[in-house]
Amino acid sequence: MVCFAVVAGSLVSTYFLVGGTRNSFDVGLSRMGADLMVVPEGEASQSETVILTGQPSTFFFNSSILSSVQGIQGVEAASGQVYIATLKDAPCCSLPVQLIGFDPATDFTISPWLNNELGRPLNHDEVIVGNRIIGDIGSSLKFYGHNFTIAGRLEPTGMGIDVSVFIRADDAYTMAEQSAAVGAAPLSLQRGQISAVLVRVDKSTDPSTVASRIQAQIPGTQVVTSNALIARITSQLASASQLLYVTTAAVAVVSVPLVAVISTMAAGERRREIGLLRAMGATRGFIFRIIFSEGVLLAAVGGLIGIGGSAVILYSFERLITASLAVPFLWPPLPETLSYVGLTLALAAAAGGLSCLYPAYTSSRLEPYEAIRRGEI
Amino acid sequence: MKLSLGGTILVALGALIVLTPWYIFPVCEVFGDYAQTATGKLLVMPCGYTARAELGVGSLLALSGAVLMFVKTTETRRALGGVSTALGALAIAFPTAIIGMCANPTHPCVTGTEPALILLGALTILVSLIVILRR
Repeated sequence: MVCFAVVAGSLVSTYFLVGGTRNSFDVGLSRMGADLMVVPEGEASQSETVILTGQPSTFFFNSSILSSVQGIQGVEAASGQVYIATLKDAPCCSLPVQLIGFDPATDFTISPWLNNELGRPLNHDEVIVGNRIIGDIGSSLKFYGHNFTIAGRLEPTGMGIDVSVFIRADDAYTMAEQSAAVGAAPLSLQRGQISAVLVRVDKSTDPSTVASRIQAQIPGTQVVTSNALIARITSQLASASQLLYVTTAAVAVVSVPLVAVISTMAAGERRREIGLLRAMGATRGFIFRIIFSEGVLLAAVGGLIGIGGSAVILYSFERLITASLAVPFLWPPLPETLSYVGLTLALAAAAGGLSCLYPAYTSSRLEPYEAIRRGEI
Repeated sequence: MKLSLGGTILVALGALIVLTPWYIFPVCEVFGDYAQTATGKLLVMPCGYTARAELGVGSLLALSGAVLMFVKTTETRRALGGVSTALGALAIAFPTAIIGMCANPTHPCVTGTEPALILLGALTILVSLIVILRR
């Protein structure tokens, strides 16, 4: 039972990790609404970290980049964003988070959400917070000595957005200008500076083509694409998922013959009982079925325990595991999860049945007198 | 002399509840993280107080489990099981409701200590209920 618990638990853990990362990626990227992100040269890795895990970061380039990007062939829409990392454990700031300043006039990422959920644009000194930011709607947050009011909360994505705070770019510039005057840590941000340009590509154009054009025609820039994010996530998950797959394979390879040996020994110990059952009229098929179904049931129960245990551990330590692996995570949809769990259980039961085939067959072939006599020896 | 399995498990759980916030999944102050006032004074954060409270809960649970290991009568066993159930509930309540943890969702106390204590508290409740209901 323990072997099947480990096999099922490892398989389901791998699914949860890989599936959760993929689900978070799908939800997060669709929330972002952008096909590409243009950042200062050398800041691609930092910006990927901001998107994936929300690790706060601050970098800027000149806003003239925005008009240059808007002029590139294949760009349907472009909007600038300002990234500011607030300070940790400082009197000026409520929380160390990623502030993302957006321009309501050109934005196409957060504005649709505002229209649908809030029904109005964001007012002066209002913010939208990611799902994991603590604070009720209407409560205030302070960043660089400037007070903001929480106007709304985004749905969970499992990505960096969950620990980010969206503010109007205009408020970000005002906050920076006033930061030294209010006695907070001074923030060096010139009005007009931006950190990234989010790009929505024309449907008829390949995003990678537009990315190449931007990098070729606008010096000092790098383009972050969804493929680059996928590659980064895959490499970060690779070692963890490989370890889980190897563990599953190793335990499965060892457990099937081991359980077969143990089942054979157990059937041997119950030879007398089997002989008595046969003597009382039990058919060979009946004997086969009870030993076989016992093996399947034990494997299924072990699989259930393993799946339950891995789900509890993953659910409890989700943030610790994903922070250690530096990957985004959002629980996969329930129907997909249930079907995978069912498949894993079926595999565990099948493995249990396979390992019990030989002892079930040999037990069913025993003659009653011989079985009783050998059982008494 | 046969010792109670339930008592042994509760002693182990009590020890884990004591050790978790300080050694296994340490709270922020173990890493040198404190809240800082405007005058620069360092203050222990809520997770630090939770860790101190769990010292008491875990110690009492271990004591309850140790006594349970040697108890013979059903009534005493059930009474100790009831006390252990309440201690398990406290182990969960301190980090989630009574004292709480840090507001920053990325702090180690939120990602590691809190779920570990909740898990240990739930296991304590489960084992204690089995001790109570066992014939």
